[in-house]
Amino acid sequence: MSVRPKPEFGGERTSRSETQKGDVVSESSVPVVDQVLDCTGLACPLPVVKTAKAIKKLAQGQVLELLATDPGVEPDMRAWSSRTGNDLLGISKQADVFHILIRRVK
Amino acid sequence: MWTDESETRILYVQTHGIADPGRSATPFFLAASAAAMEFEVMIYFTMYGPTLLRRDVVDRIGPKGEQGQRLRYFIEQATGLGVRLLICQMSLDLNDLRLDDLIDGVEMIGGAAFNDLAVSADAVISF
Repeated sequence: MSVRPKPEFGGERTSRSETQKGDVVSESSVPVVDQVLDCTGLACPLPVVKTAKAIKKLAQGQVLELLATDPGVEPDMRAWSSRTGNDLLGISKQADVFHILIRRVK
Repeated sequence: MWTDESETRILYVQTHGIADPGRSATPFFLAASAAAMEFEVMIYFTMYGPTLLRRDVVDRIGPKGEQGQRLRYFIEQATGLGVRLLICQMSLDLNDLRLDDLIDGVEMIGGAAFNDLAVSADAVISF
């Protein structure tokens, strides 16, 4: 896999410094994630399809974290969020895995 | 035939059939993605397209022929998100098929209905 610059976060993220020392905190827990959807290893269009289904199971305001390795997932989830009116809070890439935070709006 | 449930409508047109498996799955992928984006989506199967919906085909071949996922998987991924599948009588005749030869849920339309769907869609994408 080619080395790519880490994508910039698409939105504000709560600073990790707000967590208390000694807390067990994974990168993905900021901001509070209500549901993690693991789509690593799945190809297009499954991350989009599964996200669309998963977000409907959350309440408005709750946050879904999508984990995906599909190389097209970043533009896909930006398009999906924009079209469905949900908030894309941020995208980061750790190793080969994209972490995408989406808040259900409507 | 479009409902008013979505602001955006896409009509896909599949003209290829089982003779060209590599062209069989992409319209289902794209339709599923569009439905996941809360668009209203239909796929119209014409020319050789209806052969992809044969009951005796959907569990036998996929985009890589007899390797990998079969068509039923891609079809159900799309229809599970609300994608509607349309065919017309003339293309059934072309392939010596009857509606009963196809999987359940396929809707029969005619040329006027197709044209009406096309002009009232936001995009018509043909394969």
